Amino acid sequence: MKNTVYRTIPGLMLVILTLLVGVGCSKKGESGASDVSRNGDSDKVLQFGLQGNPDTLDPHATTATLTFQTVRSIYDTLAEPDENRMIVPALAEKWKVSEDNLTWTFTLRPGVVFHNGDTLDSADVKATLERLVSPESRSGRAAAFSTITAVEAPDEGTVVLRLSEPKAALLAELASGWGAILPKSLIDAGHDFGRSPVGTGPFRFVEWIPDNRIEVTKNEDYWMPDAPRIDGVVFNIIPEGAVMVQGLINGDLDAVEAVSNQDRPMLEANPDTTVHTSLSALVMVLAMNTGRSPMDNVEFRRAAARSIDKRTVMDIAYGGGEVVNTFMDYGNPYYMEFDYNAYDPEGARAALADMGYDGSVPLTMKLPENYQAHVTAGEMYQEMLKAVGINVELQLVDWSTWLEDVYRGRNFDLTVIGHTGKLDPSGRLGGYGSGGTYVQWTNAAAAEAIQEAGRVADVSERRRLYGIALEQMSSEVPHVYVGSMNFHVAARSNVTGLRKDARLDTFDFRFVEMGDE
Amino acid sequence: MQTRVRTGARTALMTFSLVYILLLIAAATAAPWAAPYDPTAQNYALRLVPPGTPGHLMGTDDLGRDVFSRIIFGSRSALFVGVLSVSIALGLGLIVGITAGWFGGWADNALMLMMDGMLSFPAVLLAITVVAMFGYGIGQVTAAIGLVFSPVLARVIRAETMVLKSEGYVESARALGTPVPVIVLRHILPNMAGKIIVQCSLFFALAVVVEAGLSYLGLGSQPPSPSWGLMLKDARSYVFRAAWLAVYPGLAVAMTVLSFNILGDTLSDRLNPLSD
Repeated sequence: MKNTVYRTIPGLMLVILTLLVGVGCSKKGESGASDVSRNGDSDKVLQFGLQGNPDTLDPHATTATLTFQTVRSIYDTLAEPDENRMIVPALAEKWKVSEDNLTWTFTLRPGVVFHNGDTLDSADVKATLERLVSPESRSGRAAAFSTITAVEAPDEGTVVLRLSEPKAALLAELASGWGAILPKSLIDAGHDFGRSPVGTGPFRFVEWIPDNRIEVTKNEDYWMPDAPRIDGVVFNIIPEGAVMVQGLINGDLDAVEAVSNQDRPMLEANPDTTVHTSLSALVMVLAMNTGRSPMDNVEFRRAAARSIDKRTVMDIAYGGGEVVNTFMDYGNPYYMEFDYNAYDPEGARAALADMGYDGSVPLTMKLPENYQAHVTAGEMYQEMLKAVGINVELQLVDWSTWLEDVYRGRNFDLTVIGHTGKLDPSGRLGGYGSGGTYVQWTNAAAAEAIQEAGRVADVSERRRLYGIALEQMSSEVPHVYVGSMNFHVAARSNVTGLRKDARLDTFDFRFVEMGDE
Repeated sequence: MQTRVRTGARTALMTFSLVYILLLIAAATAAPWAAPYDPTAQNYALRLVPPGTPGHLMGTDDLGRDVFSRIIFGSRSALFVGVLSVSIALGLGLIVGITAGWFGGWADNALMLMMDGMLSFPAVLLAITVVAMFGYGIGQVTAAIGLVFSPVLARVIRAETMVLKSEGYVESARALGTPVPVIVLRHILPNMAGKIIVQCSLFFALAVVVEAGLSYLGLGSQPPSPSWGLMLKDARSYVFRAAWLAVYPGLAVAMTVLSFNILGDTLSDRLNPLSD
């Protein structure tokens, strides 16, 4: 009999785990040791909650957002994105482009010092860019810089890039995380930047305890006056969202990234914490494999698009945000409004009937099970599609299967995903129209416009060309474009000035200030 | 005195378990009539309504689905997986166990080596491996659980077969030239039925947990089907805001497991008086 209790444990554990993971000690933190020590010494170190352990701290050897979220504070780039989604000077004071758009001349900011004491000059930039495109760089993004045929350093303060063909997105690529500038002396010495990063950034690297924390301290010699304004940042690696939220509430953490919609109301109601909401550069989509029947029929796709109540999906599954009607995030300068395929379930049902579609063969919608929001959205899409007569079965897949089987293998009917932002529209739209993407959509007009826009430098001309592609996509709906969701970054109420770049998905701690609690 | 209290408590527990199991079976059979709502019908106007709201005894989830209806329909997948996976395990266990126990020798060695190999993996891990090979879904999970449980049953059945084989009545039957299948059906199986039933009721409880666990990991039942494990998975992100989403399916799993365990223990006491 006594064995009964013992055998019941697994069952009870499942319940307890589910509850404990979140609730923990949901009482508001006792003002314990951590608070005392923070007020005790004058150092203002920001305790930040990071969602996972970066694979490396070498900005050239990765494609991982987690790496860039960390090293963004250690390295600088020649140019950088600002709050208004413009690209502004950083390590380069100014630049000019030749008439034929094939030669870019950058003038470096004088007096910038690396964390190892080296002074930044054109040789460092040259060595960095050559490291980035070299075959052994392991950079996932080397191809983006491949149009650079030569990097010249005519004098200490000038760098000249020569291109094989005009590349409108060059500045955006240089402003992305991959454009981080490293010191030549350490590159030559074969320094391990992956473990011990050295740059010109606002914070110096102190230590990295894998799966625990990454510590950086203020760079007193930073080139930007009165930045950074705090003494350091500790990136605490906390994969479980509920634990992170709990840390913020009891004061162990000062700021955390990516608060879920479910936890947001609680943090908003708490006087000690503030939620900063900003529009992300994500585009949430219901993607359709146009290489398969019946999704290859544009009328079918239009009917599917008309069956989706986008506003409701954004509010319930994604916790608010802006509805979009084409493949561009709402806040993007290249965003355009179209009124194709508006919500109209009756019209959609009639169109399907005209087409002779009877829904007898159910379609499979593969959902990445690690993203609860996409799963919830998928359940809503299923219901909305069913209402117009399209039968869908849901199938959960793990993230690596999704990438391998759905995104690369193109083995799906329907799927739900969010497309991340890019500094330049070419990053988002590249390959569409030519059948080269996972939705296998072909459209000659769009493909041609997208290719052409990659080569011209004039912004209004690029806007016109991308407009052609975006209109085709809005009309032919290879994905149903649903909206751009909000990001919620939460912080203790005394923390101000924390910025998040929507397109790079990285944080800027330079202007963070911490008042007394 | 003490024995009497103990017996009284046991009887109460046993009654409770039996009532719960009967209710479970009734709920699963009569789900369409017992549930007040369609378990997958979404109602965005009534999202996350707390328990006790008129019409929604256990509240609603993030898509406005009635939790009580989902719990009732969830009993179907729990019982389905339980019954089917135990049947699979029993079928495999009987074939392997009786073959090995009756014939002995190299057949016994080979079969038991295979079973030992399977036993060396943790049950859930082995189930995950099987599901990963054959794809996600309730059918695959059921087959995987049945496969994973079969070695233990095979071992129990083999041991019993070996004991019974040397009993006088079996030897007499053999001496009379009774065919082996008849001996197995008439003399071996009835005499080991008690032990097997006990083992099966325990496995049944375990199957419910494993199914919930695999669905919790997204490997078992697929949304929007109302499975308790899947409901727990959905509830994870709502623990702060809507704890009832985790409490009810969690309670359903826990009580089912507890009831079947108590049933198993009681049967074990009654059917094998010497084993306690």
